[in-house]
Amino acid sequence: MVVLNFTLTPEAASKIHDLLVCLGKFSDTVAIESRRERLVFTALNSSKSAYAALTLDGKQFFSTYECIPSHGGPEGRFTCSMYTKALLSVFKGRLYDPLGRDGAIDRCEVSVQDRADETQCRFIVKMVCNQGVIKTYKLTYEAVDVMHALFDRNAAVNRWSMNAGAMKEYIEFFGTKTEMLDVFAGDDGRAVFKSYTEKIANGKEILKHPLVTAVAVNTSDFEEFKVQPGLHIVISVKDFKAIVIHADTLKTSLKAYYSQPTRPLQFSYGSDGLLCEFTLMTSGDYNGGTAPPTPAPVAPQIASRVASRAISAAAPDARDNRSMPPPVEPASRRSTRRQVGSRQPSSPTRLQDDPESLFVNQGEEEDTQWEPVDYNNNEEEALGWDASADRNTGNFATFQDSGSFSRSEGVQGNADSMEGIAPTQRVSQIKGLW
Amino acid sequence: MRFKAQIHNIHTFTKLTASLNSLGPLAWLKLSDEQVCFTIIPEQGTQVWAVLSIDTIFDTYAVQSAANNVINLEVPLGPLNRALKSALNATSAQIRLTKKDNIPLLALTIATTSSNNAYSAFPTSGSRDDDTMFDAQSGGSRETVITQEVPVRVLAPDTVSGLHEPQTREPDVHIILPPLMQLKSISDRFTKLALAGARTSSGAAATRTRLDMAANMHGCLRMSIKTDAMSISSVWTDLANPELDPSQVANGDIGIAEHPSTRMKLLGSADGRSEEGWASVRIDGKDWAKVMSVGRLGGRVIACFCHEHALILYVYLPTDGGEDESVLTYYISSYSA
Repeated sequence: MVVLNFTLTPEAASKIHDLLVCLGKFSDTVAIESRRERLVFTALNSSKSAYAALTLDGKQFFSTYECIPSHGGPEGRFTCSMYTKALLSVFKGRLYDPLGRDGAIDRCEVSVQDRADETQCRFIVKMVCNQGVIKTYKLTYEAVDVMHALFDRNAAVNRWSMNAGAMKEYIEFFGTKTEMLDVFAGDDGRAVFKSYTEKIANGKEILKHPLVTAVAVNTSDFEEFKVQPGLHIVISVKDFKAIVIHADTLKTSLKAYYSQPTRPLQFSYGSDGLLCEFTLMTSGDYNGGTAPPTPAPVAPQIASRVASRAISAAAPDARDNRSMPPPVEPASRRSTRRQVGSRQPSSPTRLQDDPESLFVNQGEEEDTQWEPVDYNNNEEEALGWDASADRNTGNFATFQDSGSFSRSEGVQGNADSMEGIAPTQRVSQIKGLW
Repeated sequence: MRFKAQIHNIHTFTKLTASLNSLGPLAWLKLSDEQVCFTIIPEQGTQVWAVLSIDTIFDTYAVQSAANNVINLEVPLGPLNRALKSALNATSAQIRLTKKDNIPLLALTIATTSSNNAYSAFPTSGSRDDDTMFDAQSGGSRETVITQEVPVRVLAPDTVSGLHEPQTREPDVHIILPPLMQLKSISDRFTKLALAGARTSSGAAATRTRLDMAANMHGCLRMSIKTDAMSISSVWTDLANPELDPSQVANGDIGIAEHPSTRMKLLGSADGRSEEGWASVRIDGKDWAKVMSVGRLGGRVIACFCHEHALILYVYLPTDGGEDESVLTYYISSYSA
């Protein structure tokens, strides 16, 4: 039996509307994962090329929040999945209206009825409106396992951040039917966002070719821009638009983290207890040519912390970046988990270990909110996106050693709970992911 | 082959492409030393032949080609319009013909300074020191360059040599149309009524929405629609019938004396009640709605009625007192009853 009750202010309910609109552009269904201190909306698109996790902080986002999962102790969770449209028909637009016009609410109370002694399991939303009107919606839900995409922000050496409002101006220039977005870091102090379509048509068809739009932005217009010059990275323009439009509703800055083409890219933004993270597939040619994608000093650093990195490095052709190397079991599974969970406690040590690190240490706090899989649930399927960059196999043994060393030393507290973690699914077993 | 120009009147150009786009997706664009011509010849419906003086939309205009400095292009109007829209707040916009991967393109290079600088006033984290704020603001000229690439097809002179502006006989009646917004709202309502009537009576079968348009030489314009169930008409009076210019008519004064419109002047009356003296055409309501899209350009429109044959609209673009006028000519043929 799970207890999940929370109350939303009209502003928060309207934010739920906005995030559902955004998630609806990725997937028909949205998964909800609630834990003791937070609630996460996740969505994975049908081609599994885009994954969204929107985390609502229990204390900050909600007026009241109570979640007691039926099992699993402090790390336990309750997960379910619902149609995005069904939720949207409850969390309509204009829930928040300072003038109290039609549709405005006073507060919103949500509870989950999931008990063995009840015949029906329902997700119950009560919209308490003005003049004492209460609208109660009872939604059905499906119990699901929630998959998470892992993203290693430390491997993502390229990062930029920009005000979402400014970015929204740029996306408005894009043609309507384009498919791809190429983000290019020029070496002339400009970043170029180019929307285009890959289809090459001939003859008369050429005229049906959608507009190619390139927006060149001075890198000084970014709040932060640290991208290797000459790097092209390609994502879906539709996903990008959905993300920018949502980020703009929060009036916040959009941050991008990525390493190189074919490795995942993450967009992150948030405010007031809402943290949005989108992990997207990327493509594109690596044209930088000069420096290796991940600077050399990085490898030992990760290795000392994360055994999984070493394992993926053991993949025969680590330079082949067209496919992500499947992690070798079992060490990688355990260690992937360990890595994410242990990131925060171990990070101070790590920094001291390697003063030459090229990693930017900011964003670490957000990282802790990037929650990995549920360690206590053996049935869980976790989808590991190994965002580590290539490294050289020669150091493998050392990596493993230091990996286990750091575990015993730095993360004892967490390490115990991570024993017997559900394994990461082998990449080779996942069909249609890439 | 070279074409390069500064776009000088981005709003007019954008509205022009939007109006033309409602009639057909592709335009034949003829660029020459003297003028810029847009021609839309859809498979069905109204043709437009637009002749613009260069300074209506361009500035520092340069066109060069082996064929007498004339370049003929086939241009998709939708993407062109979309591209132009992104230049509406531009500080400068340039268009040129170029080639990329062997595909000819019209490339627009648009420089904008961001319209809202407000965001630099809100640093993301409250703990930022003043230096960062200062930096963000001193970056003052927040210029963004947008490149829009519209794929085009280059047409050989032979391809276009067979295209001629339609020949029509001398019109029976010429009249200045009332404001197009007024005309459009009435014709739209008529068309809707006709469609609704057709839907209830005969299902989805023949949803013909024929508008009867008629005008006389006494300043009257009549628009009417007839279905099995109804007959409605609107009459405008006190419109102007412009005088013909003898220098523009074949045989000068004699030509005018023999002109059909001179005969039509003898018939009908200024109150529009007489059944005589009307030159009328039957046009398709949906097609007319597309034609009315030109109203956004705000030009003066002269309609020439060839009785039971065709309706020709001359849309004169407003100029700032320049000598060369830009004219859009719409050829709408009349349906037989």
